[in-house]
Amino acid sequence: MRHPRERRGLDRRDFLRASAATALGLAGSGSLLAACGDSGGSATPTSSTPATGPDTAPATTEAPATTEAPPTTGGGDAPFQLARPHSPVTLPLFDDNPPPESGLEPESGPLRVYNWVDYLWKRKLKEFGEEYGVEVELTTFYTMDEAITKLASGAVEFDVFFPTPDRISRLVAGKLLRPLNLGYIPNLANVWPQLQDPFYDVGSQYTVPYTVYTTGIGYRTDKLAAAPGTLANPYEIYWDEAYKGKTFLLDDSREAISMVLLKNGITDLNTEDPTAIEAAKEELIALSDLVNVKVSAEDYTKIPEGSAWIHQAWSGSMIAAPYYLPEGTDASVIGYWYPPEGGGAIGSDAMAVLRSSKSPVLAHQFLNFMLDEKHAYENFAGYVGYQPPLTSINPDRLVADEVVPPHLATAVVRPSDFDRGYQELELSPEGQILWQNAWAEFKAGV
Amino acid sequence: MSYPRWLWPALSAPALLWLGLFFCVPFYAVLAVAMGTVDPIFQTPKPTWNPLDWDTSAFSFVFDGLFTSGGPFQTVFLRTIVYVVVALALSLLIAYPVAYFAARRAGRFGTLLLVGLVAPFFISYLMRMLAWINLLQEDGWVNDALLWAHAIDRPVAWLDGRASSVILGLVYGYVPFLILPLYAFLDRIDERVLEAARDLGAGPFQTFRRVTLPLSAPALLAGSVIIALPMFGDYYTPDLLSGSPRTSLIGNEINLYLRGGQQIPVGAALVCVLTMLLLVLIVAYLVAAARAARRLR
Repeated sequence: MRHPRERRGLDRRDFLRASAATALGLAGSGSLLAACGDSGGSATPTSSTPATGPDTAPATTEAPATTEAPPTTGGGDAPFQLARPHSPVTLPLFDDNPPPESGLEPESGPLRVYNWVDYLWKRKLKEFGEEYGVEVELTTFYTMDEAITKLASGAVEFDVFFPTPDRISRLVAGKLLRPLNLGYIPNLANVWPQLQDPFYDVGSQYTVPYTVYTTGIGYRTDKLAAAPGTLANPYEIYWDEAYKGKTFLLDDSREAISMVLLKNGITDLNTEDPTAIEAAKEELIALSDLVNVKVSAEDYTKIPEGSAWIHQAWSGSMIAAPYYLPEGTDASVIGYWYPPEGGGAIGSDAMAVLRSSKSPVLAHQFLNFMLDEKHAYENFAGYVGYQPPLTSINPDRLVADEVVPPHLATAVVRPSDFDRGYQELELSPEGQILWQNAWAEFKAGV
Repeated sequence: MSYPRWLWPALSAPALLWLGLFFCVPFYAVLAVAMGTVDPIFQTPKPTWNPLDWDTSAFSFVFDGLFTSGGPFQTVFLRTIVYVVVALALSLLIAYPVAYFAARRAGRFGTLLLVGLVAPFFISYLMRMLAWINLLQEDGWVNDALLWAHAIDRPVAWLDGRASSVILGLVYGYVPFLILPLYAFLDRIDERVLEAARDLGAGPFQTFRRVTLPLSAPALLAGSVIIALPMFGDYYTPDLLSGSPRTSLIGNEINLYLRGGQQIPVGAALVCVLTMLLLVLIVAYLVAAARAARRLR
């Protein structure tokens, strides 16, 4: 499954930085190194000219009846249970892997953090280091598979890791995570109630939440005749021939196929029904003929630069998108649609302490630090663009603080979105094969 | 003075060791992954080293997609071959005159010209492709220039999933690696051979067609192989310059399967099939090169 932070080795943000470095007179590969070595300017998504919301059309999609099948256990000898909202998972604890004792002093470090690229504000690491008098080292990865492969090999050792919920059961079964002692993480109380006790980790035994996002439709308000929200079925905007060549889907099997499922009124985004997947695949292939659909994971640059008018998008990318607009273009050209009453695709990220950690108490303190009201908010608004699920954060506050322009308040995730949304979760091995092959066939351009 | 009989074969030992360590062993590892499974917990590839335990289901899946008319793997393989052949032909058309001019007509500026041509290629391939995105955008400089010259009426959507953009991207990306061997070879053609041709009454064109061109056949072949091989494995050029499924190459499918999940063996099997195809091309090259060398003697 692709993740909002999953990028190529070098993305356009790096490229822009590198170009700037080249302009400063660094030459050749030197500029590349300079560009990669420093995170450069922060992606503060601010907008000076709040525009009126162009797409606050009334909701028209009704939530179809839930058709979720009981979760399979992922093959006959699956070593873990597939977590679903209606079938929560209490992760197993092991005698040889206890949580740290209460009342210990944090270790002297260093704290080694293993996270996605560009998913943490370096200033926050510095502040944590200063507060606890420790060194903080950040190592980044580009894909969850890459990260898990390295962790499973035992070749790398870190203290804090940022797993996606669909992988947590695997990581626990493989004994890579250390159970948490929530006594060290009082700030968990700042988090939305339903994520204090999530279905994928009942009782937050191994993880605490980091960010939440929705998957909706990013679009250009200045190019579209009618915003997606005005359509009876907004997802059908991808099939509109008027925008031929300007239509993009996220380059991800789960997200793209899920969009077609949602369009067809199927809300079980973890379905392993071959008929539903096959039908979605055929529709995607037809979409290639109809509007020459393209796939990309650069929703946050393609819309601002105008190469995409409609781009399946992650909410956090759209909050960051105004930063990438050409000079002189107003932020009001960027629109984001997500079902106003909820009921679309949602996603979240978690933080965990690794079993190999030599500073488990310090790692707990870091998790607590990142859930602190001030630090979590600044990390989000100052750099990451992906929102921590804190009860204190809501669309009104973000608009008032000018973190989000008023018309992009649709990209702010509300607790109710998580009550009514549908999350793409771990599939059984057979299910994965079904989804992946459908996607591979579409991507082959048959 | 005589040398022991084992000396000359022994001198090839480093090369053989290199080949063994960095080709045969890794290739066997890829094959073992293709014939293997994935770890049930971490989904990391679990190679099966013992050929007796090999599981050929990944290969049968790949062959299914390859030999079914309109199957996904057949589609991308054929598309990849077409793109590479066209890109190679264009590269030859561009590289030969440039190398010829630099080697035989530019005099003392030849080297300078060559350095100038090759200099941009010290920058990473990815960076150059990202630069092309900026140039080819609808409001990019390429459209601006063409509009200014009245060559087009309205901006062309170069990045709109066009095969031509991907092929030109491949050409741009790899053409210097064709120019360099051609230059090196053309620079060394014995002037006296050409004078002899002219003495025997051949005009400039005939000299080129009957002497220079046949002489440069080995360099053309070597250069073609050098650039065709990486083109066959390319996947980021269509990703960056198109993004349309209609232009994806075999590399894209390999990347899709290998990046993670339950079907890493399928990705490895695709790598094996591609390697076999390239091996056929290399053997064809070796045979042709040997023939060309014999003809020159």
